[in-house]
Amino acid sequence: MDSWVVAMMLGASLFLGGIALIAFLWGIKTGQFDDAKRMMNQVQFDDEKELNDASDQQKKREALKKKEYRPE
Amino acid sequence: MSNVKCDHCHLVFSDSVMIHDEDLRFCCNGCKGIYHLLKDEGLESFYTKMGETTLTPPILQFEASENFDSPAFYERFVTLGEENTAQISLIIEGIHCAACVWLNEKALHKMPGVIEAHINYTNNKARLVWDVTILKLSSIIEMIRSIGYNAYPYDASMQEVRANKQRKEYYLRMAVAAFASMNMMWIAVAQYAGYFTGMTQEIKTILNIAEWVLATPALFYSGWVFYRGAYYGLRNGAVTMDMLVVTGSTLAYFYSIYITVFEKGEAYFDSVAMIITFVLLGKFLEVLSRKHAADTLDVMGKYIPSEVSILDGDTIRSVSVSQVNVGDTIIIRTGERAAIDGEVISGEGSFDESNLTGEADPIFKRKGDVIISGTTSIDALLHYRALKDYAHSTLSHLVNLLENAMRQKPKIEQLANRLSEYFSSTILFLAIGTFWVWYFWPHTFDRALMVGISVIIIACPCALALATPVATIVGLALGAKRSILFKSAAQIETMAKATMFVLDKTGTITKGRPAVVYATYHAAYDRSVLLALVNSSKHPISLGIVEYLEKTEPAIQTGGISEVNEIPARGLVGRVGGVMIAGGNALLMADMGIETQILSDKSLFYYAVDGKLCATFELQDLPKDNAFESIKILKEYGLQVVMLTGDHAASALRVANAVGIDEVHAHVTAQEKADFIARAHDEGHIVVMAGDGVNDLLALARADIGIAMGNGSDIAIEVSDIVLLNDSLVSLTEAYAISRRTYSLIKQNLGISLVYNAITIPLAMMGYIIPLIAALSMSFSSLLVVGNSMRSRWMYK
Repeated sequence: MDSWVVAMMLGASLFLGGIALIAFLWGIKTGQFDDAKRMMNQVQFDDEKELNDASDQQKKREALKKKEYRPE
Repeated sequence: MSNVKCDHCHLVFSDSVMIHDEDLRFCCNGCKGIYHLLKDEGLESFYTKMGETTLTPPILQFEASENFDSPAFYERFVTLGEENTAQISLIIEGIHCAACVWLNEKALHKMPGVIEAHINYTNNKARLVWDVTILKLSSIIEMIRSIGYNAYPYDASMQEVRANKQRKEYYLRMAVAAFASMNMMWIAVAQYAGYFTGMTQEIKTILNIAEWVLATPALFYSGWVFYRGAYYGLRNGAVTMDMLVVTGSTLAYFYSIYITVFEKGEAYFDSVAMIITFVLLGKFLEVLSRKHAADTLDVMGKYIPSEVSILDGDTIRSVSVSQVNVGDTIIIRTGERAAIDGEVISGEGSFDESNLTGEADPIFKRKGDVIISGTTSIDALLHYRALKDYAHSTLSHLVNLLENAMRQKPKIEQLANRLSEYFSSTILFLAIGTFWVWYFWPHTFDRALMVGISVIIIACPCALALATPVATIVGLALGAKRSILFKSAAQIETMAKATMFVLDKTGTITKGRPAVVYATYHAAYDRSVLLALVNSSKHPISLGIVEYLEKTEPAIQTGGISEVNEIPARGLVGRVGGVMIAGGNALLMADMGIETQILSDKSLFYYAVDGKLCATFELQDLPKDNAFESIKILKEYGLQVVMLTGDHAASALRVANAVGIDEVHAHVTAQEKADFIARAHDEGHIVVMAGDGVNDLLALARADIGIAMGNGSDIAIEVSDIVLLNDSLVSLTEAYAISRRTYSLIKQNLGISLVYNAITIPLAMMGYIIPLIAALSMSFSSLLVVGNSMRSRWMYK
């Protein structure tokens, strides 16, 4: 076996592992692991309603930025 | 009559007392209101999400929410942002389950103007951003209250922000180090396989380069904390453990680069990553278990009412506490907490002073008596004149004292820290010595350098760094199993060295509530009616009677009764059919023309039916079960046990005799308690203080170890280092036993790693250590330390 095969395999796996590590670090930095108790229960709050709610909040935020926001 | 569940809070009550609403059942109007509100808002899926959890029924009295809109409040708690937004940090009370978090967030999101509402389930803290042009803060707070929770603001202080940042930083560094060393392991497998079976230099170099790539972030990113620690250590003229880690790993790293580039010998990259990972793991565990004073003072905020009602001519005005002047007339109602010290002008009623003075029995106040801020009115409605302004009142004075006390808390240096300093300088000295000896005893430079480095690597501080954290984690787990919560791992060691236990009386040694000790019956009566009567009141005496009735007659049912009235400072009066029933103290009986003759130093409760005395109950605050045995055990350990109480001497001595405590100090104030502890500390004692009330706060903060009872006040729990969740004194002795055991485990672990070094270092100095043995010995010494700790865990069930 040529040694470049070993080199390539090592390189590829370290690269993939590195991507996973960076994703994990991003998760920590953006606070996704801050609330351990909530994280464990997250599956209960993961349906369509939650998505709608999240998008509503997003709209409110955008509306505020554009200063067009008026309460009904 | 069967018992049914309330459809909102899921607490179980007898069907007869429930509010019927078609086929729904509610325990109170609060629950009913919330249930319908959630239905109307389309949030009823809350109930499927919450499952079998039970909630606390909502409290209907809150302080007025307009106060949240005052400019003074804004200045203190609210940060204004861009585009008319404002931000506040709140602590939400009453969160029991993930569904509660969901409900609060949904309800807030539904309000127009709320830009962001995020609640942390772990610590119940919420961050709220809203648009000030659309919404007032008071409406937000009212929304939270209307769905059955309560919210109070806290100062998200700099200290807390910093602590969180540090925790996160360690997470990141730990993740990188763990990633690097775990990947290093499988490359190392190839290295060692090749070492025994033979492999070409080319493959070896490829493996070395891969390890180099992994070791670099581990050393310079994850290991940065050690460089920083070593630098600050040197500036203070101390050789620290960090210094040893830094020299060992940096030298090994550059040496390995040299090996890789010139293709000779074996590289040590794996050792570099391993050392950093293991020692960082020890530090990481320490950072996670560190307690921060910041959280403590947040909870204190709740104890201070922010506004009071004052009588201005004929009108009643609500003003902020800081605006009250000496001489103003203040109105205090049932259930309110006094914010200002003063003297009663008119009205009467009883006050609960237990959290300030330690006296368990309610104190009756009338004209001329002094009101102390921080005490709660049980049934009093009265007017009093302010004697001091807010800043000089007992309660706010206490907050200032507490801040000082927490700063003065003694720190006892940990054994491992002291040891590692000597250890580090010795090893560095030996390594340099070895290098010079080898160099002048003619050997090549790199041979001498390699032997010198191998001394540092073999002296690998892994085992030493792990010795304390692993042992304390075992101690924490042992405690958790017995409902003992050690809040800060480092305190276990201090606890083990304790020489004096100071105990509070009310709530710590005693049960903290009056219990019936003696009952006399004068005539036959229906006990179920008496139960119904006392059940309608939350007064401590009534609760004591309920407990007694249910204990002596477990099958007792609540009887039918109508028109119950609670007469302040007297008792309860009700009606069954046409017959008048009354239960209360001698004053009530005198009002009704019933003669009572019994004299007693205990609290008395009389029960009369139709103007005829039927029964007399004597109530007293009793010591907890096993109190005597527990204190005996503490004394057998050779500890000095002292009782401090704000209560009067007679009842203090009675309790002390019952539980076997010789040294008693009665009539001490909160400040005197703290002084007592400071004095004992100066005399060379290491003091453990156990207490539960606001009057113990200063002492708890001041003691080497503060222990709070699980049902004590929140603030006492916050200030303390150890919490006994089951309130039992047996747990107190167990906490001490576990600490002693953990401390001896720490000493064993340190011993193991030192003995290990004593064997391997001479070998390394003689140049017998090859890379394989170095790596094996490193893992083996760490395994020994972990294994020894696990052994202790299995043995001490």
